[in-house]
Amino acid sequence: MSKYPNTVGDIEFDRKLDAADLKKCGAGKDKPFSFQYYHGAKGFDYKGEKIAIVEKLKKENIYSENKSNGFITVRFLVNCEGKTGLFRLQHMSPDLKDTVLDVELENKLLQFTQSLDGWIPKEINGSKVDYYQYLTYKIENGKVSEVLP
Amino acid sequence: MEKFQRYYLSFLLLIVYTNTIAQVNCNAIEGEDCKKACELYNLASDFQGYRASQEGFDKAIELCPDFANAYMEKAVPYLKNGDFVTWKGLIDKAVALDPKMHLGYRGWCKFQFLRDYSGAILDLETLKQYYPEDLGRSQNGDYNLSIVKAMSYSALGQKEKAAGIIERQLATRGYVKGMFDHYQLGVTYFELGKYDKALENFEQQSKEYDFAENIYFKSKVSKIRNKDYLDLKTLALQTYDEGKTMKDVYTHHFNKIYRKQIEEL
Repeated sequence: MSKYPNTVGDIEFDRKLDAADLKKCGAGKDKPFSFQYYHGAKGFDYKGEKIAIVEKLKKENIYSENKSNGFITVRFLVNCEGKTGLFRLQHMSPDLKDTVLDVELENKLLQFTQSLDGWIPKEINGSKVDYYQYLTYKIENGKVSEVLP
Repeated sequence: MEKFQRYYLSFLLLIVYTNTIAQVNCNAIEGEDCKKACELYNLASDFQGYRASQEGFDKAIELCPDFANAYMEKAVPYLKNGDFVTWKGLIDKAVALDPKMHLGYRGWCKFQFLRDYSGAILDLETLKQYYPEDLGRSQNGDYNLSIVKAMSYSALGQKEKAAGIIERQLATRGYVKGMFDHYQLGVTYFELGKYDKALENFEQQSKEYDFAENIYFKSKVSKIRNKDYLDLKTLALQTYDEGKTMKDVYTHHFNKIYRKQIEEL
């Protein structure tokens, strides 16, 4: 049994964490290879571009009382219909060590990421595919200062 | 063959092709184990991100624990796929073993993927010890690493310092300009309120390689100066729709402007 998934970053369905209604539906879904957001002609593809996410986040006014610093990354799958699921969160100190920043902030950013509904299904060579996407929130003094990639 | 199957195979070939850049000449490696590790590394580099590739790097590291490239290449798919904790552990190991080779790359990644400006500056200032004349290029080829350092200073509010670094770099004899050097210098001057110098650089950028963001800033300068800016705004939108924008496969460029921002000018 290998310690690695078929492709680095693959997320396995976990019935304790994941909604059962998200189905992989893209071409090649049974192949031991996963598409990522940067595959295909368009790359990062959200309705209204990344600035739409940044502006929505600004309206939500999400911040941490404890003025923490670091990074919070949420990885997830976008299926061939543009639906999202399999959300996984990673928190990091400013020097990228696995560190809890602020549980409340992390939950809010996870929920915010789950609320985003503008992901555009990726089409590669005429076939719709499922793909992995991530968003990294850079946290400075408890506030999101940048959204990446 | 089904259309998608054909694509799938061509995609695999593309991975093999793009990763051959990482290939090392194993004849130059000393010691039997390290030579074998090098061959395993070359093979594993061809299938970046796959299980077999990661296992190949592990075998290479087992045979030759000081082979920095194996850590670096093993780290790459974690970086691209957003697992920065794992990436950092591996890239730090590569840098510790061979700073001359991997420090510039780590500094660039900190800037490009994480907007970790202080971390990028630290790496790129240290890199000067190894390459006092020329820090080399960013991984995507768009910038000289001294420009990356300047953009990091700019992001941290040290805009005069940033402009000085870019000016000195542009004046260096034999310097091969990056794709967006004049644009980044122009934006820095714009943020300093030095509109003459900003415009001078945006115009120079237009002559060398024009794109929507550059035209947007020219339009902004015109608007500030109460001159007609609408023609430039229209041109910026048109250029944006033609796809001539600042593009990067993995991330968004520093000082990228979105269509909505142009519309709202």
